Amino acid sequence: MSDFAVEISHLTYRVKRAFALEDLSLRIPTGSIYGFLGPNGSGKTTTIRLVLGLLRPESGGITVLGHAIPAEAPAALAGVGYVPEAPHLDPTLTVSEAIWFHSHFYPTWDAAWAGRLVRDFELDPRRLFGKLSKGQKGKLMMLLALAQRPRLLVLDEPTDGLDPVVRRDMLSALLDYVSAHEATVFISSHLIHELERICDWVGVMDNGRLVADVEMERFKTGMKRLKVSKCPRDLTPLPFRVLTRTPLNGNGGETWLVRDWAPEMAAALTAAGGEIQEVIDLDLEEGFVELLRSFRTRRPEAADV
Amino acid sequence: MFERLDPRSPTPLYAQIAERLRAAIVTRELTPAEALPSVRQLAASLRVNPATVVQAYRELEAEGFIEMRQGAGTYVREVSPSQRGAERERQATELVRKLLTDAARLGLSVREVTAAVERELGEKVR
Repeated sequence: MSDFAVEISHLTYRVKRAFALEDLSLRIPTGSIYGFLGPNGSGKTTTIRLVLGLLRPESGGITVLGHAIPAEAPAALAGVGYVPEAPHLDPTLTVSEAIWFHSHFYPTWDAAWAGRLVRDFELDPRRLFGKLSKGQKGKLMMLLALAQRPRLLVLDEPTDGLDPVVRRDMLSALLDYVSAHEATVFISSHLIHELERICDWVGVMDNGRLVADVEMERFKTGMKRLKVSKCPRDLTPLPFRVLTRTPLNGNGGETWLVRDWAPEMAAALTAAGGEIQEVIDLDLEEGFVELLRSFRTRRPEAADV
Repeated sequence: MFERLDPRSPTPLYAQIAERLRAAIVTRELTPAEALPSVRQLAASLRVNPATVVQAYRELEAEGFIEMRQGAGTYVREVSPSQRGAERERQATELVRKLLTDAARLGLSVREVTAAVERELGEKVR
């Protein structure tokens, strides 16, 4: 088995002049739950559609479960469960008809699992898809993706706009499946705290570029806000990276946003002639927002990650 | 026992889960030989990554609080009085450290903090 369920290398994709993914490289470790963050229009859904072979890249390579996309898309997609942003089933099918229809595309279909989820999700098998509530539609889409017993789940904003009870049920079902089958998950969401709970890897998109691709724990422990009461003259010897600097109360103090921080690095700052007043922890949402802000205020060539 | 897990906290989720279980074992809310939920059950019910639960269980096993039997589940181990004492001492130290860190941030002196502690204790005793 490959170390990566999804590998994207030097991918370029353009929609006329309006939007482009430029030289995108991203790897999703097999068995991880990879959270895909980014503001609206940053290219998350486009990337997901490229991974599924629904769009054709201009250049670059995509591999999904060891198969080249789009050339070997059918072989790859046999092992991929997909929950799209907007549920798209025939509204005139009942729940059980939709399940029956879907099951025939997948030799790996797990009818017992599907039956259990119909009960857990309290779905009425005789109800028309078109008459389901938004939450019930979301649950049905999750059911269809899980019961085909995929090795990779691709979820594009699966819980967007759903109430907390439905979101809980859907995520519990997802995690139950992942525990039982050791599947890989590629999930995009605006609900950052939800991702913070479940993901062990995060990718952050901004304006068609991947600006962070890092283990969740490293992202969280490495992104800090530092209150520095005395700044060293030269920042280059510091073992961490200073993303932004803002003056603090006019006494020469500054607030820094830093990456790749570790507690023992305080000594290096002191050695360089600086002085730390306080180290402030950031949660994923704050880290994400600050990171994007720092990329928007800097020149693009400085924005390597 | 897992109320108020905080994914936003800088303390990793696995450490928070391990901490809750450790406390429950020391206070005998979980009794020796009691079975813990499977990784799958706990991950789904807490809505966390299964790897997070595994990491918490491994840490507790290394510390001797629980035993993971291959294919047969995870069980609470008998905790010796000295281990129990050490754990309670660690918890108390942790609380005091947190208090002192917060106090330093607020610029409170040790004297002010001790005075407040004595005042509160006095109220409790009375």
